[in-house]
Amino acid sequence: MRTAILFLSMASLAIAQETAAPTPERAGPVRGETWNGYNIVNSIETGYRFAAVGGGDDAMYRSSVNYGNGIRLLGSYFTMNSKDGRGRWLDSVVITTQGLGNDPYESASLRIVKNRTYHYDMTWRRNDYFNPGLVTGGASGNHLLDTEYDMQDHDLTIFPESNLKFFLGYSGTSQTGAAISSIQPLGGGADTVPLFANVRRVRREYRLGNEFRVLGVRMNWMRGWEDFKDDTPFTGVNFQRVEPYHGTSPYWRAALFADRKIVGVNGHFTYTSGRRAFIVDETAVGPLSVAPRSQQIQTSGDAQRPVATGNLNVVIAPGSKLTIVNSSSVYNVRTSGNSAFTQFDNGTHSFDALFFQYLGIRTFANETDLNYQFSPLLGAFAGYEYSDRRIRSIQFSPQPADQTNILHDGRLGIRLRPAKGLTVLVSAEAGRNNRPFTPAAERNYHALNARVQYRSKDLLLAAGAESDYRFNSVALSSYSSQSRKYFANGSWNPRPWLGFDGSFSRAHLYTIGGIAYFESFPSQLSGSSLYISNLNTLTAGIRFAAAKRADVYVAYVRTRDEGDGRSTNPNLLFQSVQTYPMAFQSPLARLSLRITEKLRWNAGYQYYGYSAQFYANRNFRANTGYTSVTWSF
Amino acid sequence: MKSLLLLTLTALLPALARGASGYIGSEACKTCHADVWSTFYRNPHFRPPAPDKAVTGCESCHGPGKAHVEAHGGKATIVAFSELPPERILDACLACHGQTISRANIRRSEHTLNGMACTSCHSIHKARTPTRLLAKPQTELCYGCHANVRAQFSMPFKHRVNEGFMSCTDCHNPHGAFAPTWKTAVRPRMAQRALANEEPCLKCHAEKRGPFIFEHASVRVEGCEMCHFPHGSPNSRLLRRPVVFTMCLECHNGLGDFGRAGRGVPNPAPGTVSHNLADPRFQNCTACHVRIHGSNSDFYFLR
Repeated sequence: MRTAILFLSMASLAIAQETAAPTPERAGPVRGETWNGYNIVNSIETGYRFAAVGGGDDAMYRSSVNYGNGIRLLGSYFTMNSKDGRGRWLDSVVITTQGLGNDPYESASLRIVKNRTYHYDMTWRRNDYFNPGLVTGGASGNHLLDTEYDMQDHDLTIFPESNLKFFLGYSGTSQTGAAISSIQPLGGGADTVPLFANVRRVRREYRLGNEFRVLGVRMNWMRGWEDFKDDTPFTGVNFQRVEPYHGTSPYWRAALFADRKIVGVNGHFTYTSGRRAFIVDETAVGPLSVAPRSQQIQTSGDAQRPVATGNLNVVIAPGSKLTIVNSSSVYNVRTSGNSAFTQFDNGTHSFDALFFQYLGIRTFANETDLNYQFSPLLGAFAGYEYSDRRIRSIQFSPQPADQTNILHDGRLGIRLRPAKGLTVLVSAEAGRNNRPFTPAAERNYHALNARVQYRSKDLLLAAGAESDYRFNSVALSSYSSQSRKYFANGSWNPRPWLGFDGSFSRAHLYTIGGIAYFESFPSQLSGSSLYISNLNTLTAGIRFAAAKRADVYVAYVRTRDEGDGRSTNPNLLFQSVQTYPMAFQSPLARLSLRITEKLRWNAGYQYYGYSAQFYANRNFRANTGYTSVTWSF
Repeated sequence: MKSLLLLTLTALLPALARGASGYIGSEACKTCHADVWSTFYRNPHFRPPAPDKAVTGCESCHGPGKAHVEAHGGKATIVAFSELPPERILDACLACHGQTISRANIRRSEHTLNGMACTSCHSIHKARTPTRLLAKPQTELCYGCHANVRAQFSMPFKHRVNEGFMSCTDCHNPHGAFAPTWKTAVRPRMAQRALANEEPCLKCHAEKRGPFIFEHASVRVEGCEMCHFPHGSPNSRLLRRPVVFTMCLECHNGLGDFGRAGRGVPNPAPGTVSHNLADPRFQNCTACHVRIHGSNSDFYFLR
């Protein structure tokens, strides 16, 4: 037992987390306690976290890192296992927590298992997300409020190992706090600033299902209901708006699965009848905008979007070397409903009405993949996909618009295993789409991918390159995108107490698109949008344990976008937005010291530095750290 | 009496047959593998001992152990997973774990096609996570091969994966997924799906699901990644461009045969001078078009 827990302790040292706390190490040789036929292992880490932020834009720090000061339950871990696998009510309990007590990223998970009888999983997460929005007014505005996301999932499986299973589940999400609203008071000649409102959004999903086996085919169905409501109000000077937005999306899912030696079939089908009912009641009185305004807007209606989807895969393996997979998928969605938008103007006693728009998409795709293993050394694969999408809509005129686009996509590749642990992959893909929906969508594209990897017991080395080119030239506009990525990474653990890991990646992105814009009246048709990014990321880490008493981890992460190499940014309409050089770095050091067999002291420091070359007012630097004790048994 | 004898023989025959085929029971393993044996009750694979040795215990995965014991060990005398090619590891694990819908596509997944096996990510005896028997914490496992993704999550704006708030499997199914139905291309290949076979983004960003009276059609047709980098971005809100108007105008140029009606995606309010893009206040389109993902009360997404 001690050996195993010690191994767990040592093994966890290999964690190369990006944040300093919680400490991944399990304190000392955790023994575990035996109670009533169960073995219990527990570890609790609590301490103080600090953050000192400076260098300019605190809001930028909060939107990208957001750790603060205070006492935290940085992490905890609890397991209870029956030693004979015959517990009366349960055989296994696992609880983990992270960041409880006001960290911006808090989570907890619970798993309870009774062998062959039930299996329950719960996760709870909270993210205090600082909404960067438009930082306009300094420290006294709503901009410093956080939006809080709460998410939880519960899943219960009855008879998880039998041929007749039952599923019950619940998921909930809530979003509260300050977030961007859809209110924009247009001041006379001033900037247009959307305001923040205290949002109240709640999503709940309930589901139940069953899985059974008939004639060797496993069938699975699930019935669920998703409810969503948004009750964000806004009341300002001379202005108020309420816009409750409620709806439900009941759904059916069905799946089948049969895996035979030669032929396998699996499929997945869903039907969701989404519906949202809404009211917008907006009243504006007095001088609010460029001109005095006195009007009321009322909108009500309900939107419906039934979605039917299906996937069906047929796998044929006539021999041990050849596998053929044919996959079909269909997607059919219609957005329809009834709505009347009425804008009433008290001054002129006039109103405008605008009615609903229809959007329908139907997509059918069929894909065939072949895999052939010539020998243990060499394998090859090839695939072809045909996809047909039809879009119908009513936009400006009552006559529906109708368009169809067809995609042909092909790919092939080889796999090599020239030696034990060594794999090489080379693949290519090309596609032609005759009428994509947007100029920036995939039209004429090709992608190349190569990767080599060596893995042994204590060494991992990998390197690769990917390119994705998109050339979408058409008669009056053009769009071109070139993406190239290179990476190399490795980890080496020569001793149980010593390990290294590191990686380097480079991503080059070049896009150019013809655009029409307004610099003054009339519109300009000769502009183009150019964006260039050359992003390099370096990570390096070393860990070692000294005399089974101290564990040390030191790491460094640096991300730098070199842009296109220019040193200054010209104040010209397009040139000023063509590239965005910046650097983001985060060195980290962590120490964990064994005080007694059950107690450890931990400390960590992490620096965050952000530097945007052309927008120095967004820069920040932050010194963060923590000190904590870990109690384990 | 004869019936009882026959019944007893019938019950014993499988065990006798297994004995003849080399099954000896897990008790024999603990002599040499005490470290594994002593803590195996903590392993999800642990089940109380049963008469059928081929179903529970060490030999249910490692095969008959008689030859292994008689040879005093050795990887050649037993099913040693470290010596198996990926296909055989997959076969062995899927014998029990294959009958699950979430793993229905594992044999055609990108991971399998690239030569990965279950033991590339899972460690049955030396797991380093409390659940799912992962060989390392999930992000480290994924970053081990996807270093470029690690770089994306090291950006100043990113989904909170490194911070532990999210995990890769919130959006991806590492065991393979059905083809995405919301796109025409075959990519992304291993994306988890939300409610109605939608993009996984909508699992959390439910307020952007709609349906809306006025849908931003490109969101529904092309998906979120038309405007956002899903992992991380140097630009706020995970946008593909540092300044909003360039991204919007790449599509809203009014040219070509794109858009709903095939007459081009509408460009900004023709004939108006209020959109002078030389003025910085108009360069952030979403400052006014705040309901850009869809609106119930304004065709131009103004409210």
